[in-house]
Amino acid sequence: MTAIATTGLSKHFGDVRAVDDVDIALAELRIHGLLGRNGAGKTTLMQLLTGQVFATRGTMRVLGAEPVENADVLSQTCFIQESQKYPDTFRAIDVLRIAAGAYPNWDQEYADQLVEEFRLPVKRTIKKLSRGQLSAIGIVVGLASRAPLTFFDEPYLGLDAVARRMFYDRLLADFAEHPRTVVLSTHHIDEVSNLLEHVVILDEGQVLLDADTDELQDAALTVSGRATDVDAFLAGREVLERTVLGTLATATVPGGPDAKRAALDAGLDVSPVSLQALFVHLTTANASSRATDVATV
Amino acid sequence: MRIRNVVQLHTVNRMQFFGWPLVFMTLSLALVLVIGGLVLGVGGPDAREGMHNGMQWNGAIFAVLGPLIGFGFTAMGQYFPLALGLGLTRREFAVGTSLVFVGYAAFFATVFTIGKAIESATGGFGLGIRFFDTYYTGVGAWWQTAIQSFLVILAVMLVGAAITTAFHRWGQSFLWAFWLTLAVIVVAIAGGLILSEPFRELVGQLGQLPWIAWMGVVAGFGAIGAAVWLTLVRRAQAR
Repeated sequence: MTAIATTGLSKHFGDVRAVDDVDIALAELRIHGLLGRNGAGKTTLMQLLTGQVFATRGTMRVLGAEPVENADVLSQTCFIQESQKYPDTFRAIDVLRIAAGAYPNWDQEYADQLVEEFRLPVKRTIKKLSRGQLSAIGIVVGLASRAPLTFFDEPYLGLDAVARRMFYDRLLADFAEHPRTVVLSTHHIDEVSNLLEHVVILDEGQVLLDADTDELQDAALTVSGRATDVDAFLAGREVLERTVLGTLATATVPGGPDAKRAALDAGLDVSPVSLQALFVHLTTANASSRATDVATV
Repeated sequence: MRIRNVVQLHTVNRMQFFGWPLVFMTLSLALVLVIGGLVLGVGGPDAREGMHNGMQWNGAIFAVLGPLIGFGFTAMGQYFPLALGLGLTRREFAVGTSLVFVGYAAFFATVFTIGKAIESATGGFGLGIRFFDTYYTGVGAWWQTAIQSFLVILAVMLVGAAITTAFHRWGQSFLWAFWLTLAVIVVAIAGGLILSEPFRELVGQLGQLPWIAWMGVVAGFGAIGAAVWLTLVRRAQAR
């Protein structure tokens, strides 16, 4: 079943097309990655899907219904956003108490455990918390709410590497025990690439890529070896990324089994393409293409 | 409808919601009592009558009215974005917040009325001072204080919520328009009072309006605030 489906969904702020004609269909009970550069429209898309802002045009179905002002849908949806504002006088414990009442599947025991693990000072006022501690509030709410549809928008800004690792581990473990649909927006692409089953890449408000991560691994490959061997292999091929370190080189190229076989025959080491390399290439190529279009006009 | 969640959103921090306004009120009352004691100590019984009359305009009660006025602004400015973030609908937020406004106004109107009853029964706490028995909360019978306090508190919260929602919708341009309009009105009234005798007479007549008419004016402001707020909040977006 489809958890989220949009058709021609657009949100314009004056001349700015934050979300522009987006068609996506995200299956339920999977972890989806929503990737894009700053200002690509990720947060706006999630705000649309959770009824926080109104669409300029287009349609959307979330958990089978229109989400705007729909309490049945929104009570099953948890949106943890990086820019979430809390009242100045609130303490973390106040947010958790309200969340406990707002989400039908809230697990208080799990929330208490997460508070301990993330070392969240629950009785300190919000304005005295660090950026990382604010992020920890969102992570506790997002995980303990056990909402059938959970959006995480850059949920770990300010968190150190240990806490981020802990978030990934808890998310995966809880997802395995309580399957639900998760949409995760992040810039730490390599860190989450193993979590994601499906990826949507947005660029300038439009969908640049919408594919399962398995498909992406077959779409390109990374080769490495002596620079001369790598360069010989790259001759006549499209190169997504190439780095040289002394006499060794690494390159990412599009291609399926044929390219893999050719690389192995050339004595190169072959590994699946990293999601981050593909992301960088796609968004950079798209920017170059737009620049060329503008220059042509 | 998840009205309970919205009420909880506003009241979860009890100290902030009930505690601090009552603390401010108590401190302000204590200060007025000290001032009353000093005036009586220096001026003697003769000063008591003058102080009692003069304190009809004592604004010390604004130590608690101030936070209540601010609550209307923060309800929309700080609680609304969090409510949307928690998946509550605008309709649920509006209904729940309206109930909180009414309950908050009723609670403090009751506090003021009890305070006024004690103040009247004890001759201004034995010092002839006025804290609750002022023009802002009603100098008539106790039930007038109850009604006036309730209407004033409710009206300012509704107007505050309306102003914040309009700012939410139209941003800084609304604030410019609002303050400019207010400045024009204030200047026009001041100009009328200085330059026009008929206008001065008209204002004088307004000052003689019966209490019930003034309550109608306060209720009217509240109703306009409520109408604007409830209309705009339906299309308010997260910022």
